[in-house]
Amino acid sequence: MMDTLLLLALNGLIWGLIIALIALGLSVIFGLLDVINIAHGDFFMVGTVLAWAALEVTGNFWIGFIVVPLICLALGALIQVVVIQPIRGVAALSIVATFGLSLILQEVVRMTFGATPRRMLPPISGTVPLFGIEYEIYRMFAAVLSLAALGAFFWFLQHTKIGTWMRAVRHDRDTATAMGIPAQRVYIFTFAIGFALAGFGGVVAAPITTVDFRGGVDLLPVCFIAVIIGGLGNLPGTAAAAILLSLLEGIIQSAANPTVARISSLVLMSAVLLLRPQGLFKGHVR
Amino acid sequence: MTNRIFIERCVLLAFAAFLLSVPWLVPALVNNFWVSVIAEILIWSLFAASVNLLFGYVGLLSFGQALYFGFGMYGVGIGIDQLHLSFWPAFGLGISAAMAMALVSGIFAVRLTWHYFAIITVVFSLIFYFIAVTMKPLTGGDDGINFTLPPTFSFGGKQWSFTDATFQYFFILATVTVCFYLMHLVIRSPLGKAFLAIRDNDVRASLIGLNVYLLRLMAFVMAGFLAGVAGALFAFFGRYASASYMFYHVSGEAVVWAIVGGAGTLFGPIIGTSLFIIIRELVSTHWEHHSLIVGMMAILVVILAPKGLVGLWRDGLDGLDRFTARDKSTGVKLRTHL
Repeated sequence: MMDTLLLLALNGLIWGLIIALIALGLSVIFGLLDVINIAHGDFFMVGTVLAWAALEVTGNFWIGFIVVPLICLALGALIQVVVIQPIRGVAALSIVATFGLSLILQEVVRMTFGATPRRMLPPISGTVPLFGIEYEIYRMFAAVLSLAALGAFFWFLQHTKIGTWMRAVRHDRDTATAMGIPAQRVYIFTFAIGFALAGFGGVVAAPITTVDFRGGVDLLPVCFIAVIIGGLGNLPGTAAAAILLSLLEGIIQSAANPTVARISSLVLMSAVLLLRPQGLFKGHVR
Repeated sequence: MTNRIFIERCVLLAFAAFLLSVPWLVPALVNNFWVSVIAEILIWSLFAASVNLLFGYVGLLSFGQALYFGFGMYGVGIGIDQLHLSFWPAFGLGISAAMAMALVSGIFAVRLTWHYFAIITVVFSLIFYFIAVTMKPLTGGDDGINFTLPPTFSFGGKQWSFTDATFQYFFILATVTVCFYLMHLVIRSPLGKAFLAIRDNDVRASLIGLNVYLLRLMAFVMAGFLAGVAGALFAFFGRYASASYMFYHVSGEAVVWAIVGGAGTLFGPIIGTSLFIIIRELVSTHWEHHSLIVGMMAILVVILAPKGLVGLWRDGLDGLDRFTARDKSTGVKLRTHL
């Protein structure tokens, strides 16, 4: 019993770290561009599929970790210019446009990759003893990688010029433009980095989950919930909420089936939304 | 009377005439299959109208209307399959189940607005989606439940039931028309004006003495009614109820249909829904990847017609009005210019 609890809690925690990456991407896109990105789950899915494709083409899983986020970055920039730029600023229209985008991404993947879900073998197999249970090495590695990416993203926001620009445009678009910050390019870059974060999450998660053209559908509400519960615009809060939610779901799963666990965590979320609509962490983090 | 109002009345009349002649006209021109497609469009238009009532008139973007659609559907499905109800009690059960659910969730949901409202509605609908998936013996889960429909009317030996395709079409048309007419009445009434006031500025609305919370709750229950009727009709139409219709994707489609057609206009949802379903039906028979075209359409419409298709049409007609008005006043204009 204890072992199952620990195993599921760990799985939940690691899945939470990956979701945190994806939800951060959603949050920056939402915060800077006022875009409610219905296609964000599919950005993650594209990441898993590209990871699979990279492995097929090169025979080397590790290349995916570098190539896939770069492809996603380019795709994100392209999509921003073609689809998001023309409707910028109107949240209701962004829902429709990204819904269309979501259909297109899923359909293109279904056409090329196929409709059958596939499983990928992790590049590192084997288990290590951890607190008395045998735990998969790859999942540990995924945790480390996600943590590193989260750290790198926050470092990037705080300590680089583009990161500072992103924060400035988010804070006050007009003043930032008046100060000479190229807001247009910041928008493009923000959308691109949002896609890249989700895509990277996809590569990390590919061997843990299944690679499927509908792989993003279930993920999308979870990411939105993390963004809202963490507090709109509160990036560390979003990451923390994603991890907590997933951990919680893992713990409940040790006592009940996954659907019941999902229902309980959703009920809990409604309570948080109603009691603290400003987010769980307002006043604690920055 | 401006050109716009005249033209719109003509179009409306032609549209009504078309809808009334569908069971004869469409099989003659195309085939019987399209009669049922049009019936389906009518049902989904009603569902999109429920999103539109909340978003277009009260300013609340609900991403969970599928929940009330699902309750309408299951009210009918479970009513007939498990409780062995006849047609009308099952219809009533579906609608009241949807409205009751809308009331209960609305009490919580309308305390929030905008993003928070969108999220709480999607969370509520997900909770019940997963509950419906787990309660397989009752709901059939994702596979759903099939049932045979009892007759709608029976007088003595004579029966009218959905097995008659023409009766089925007219029943759906009549029900949808009544619902749209009710919505039209609400929008024209002082209540509708109060809704618009809240949509445009809820603080000001509360300052002139409107009970914003209560009005939003009323709108939410009304939207639940529309979605519930749509769900019940869809259950009759398909003789089928399934949890998959409660998933958030279904709600999302209705949001897209309503916005593409034109949010805040009575007929917008019909136009948006028709466009997407007709394209789907036209393309899916020839090409399996029809979603690609649907996705591109959605993007193109919001880029080219940000006010929706009805907005585009109205702008066009208003332009025509301005053009004719300018003709009459050319003399004055010329003098001022010189």
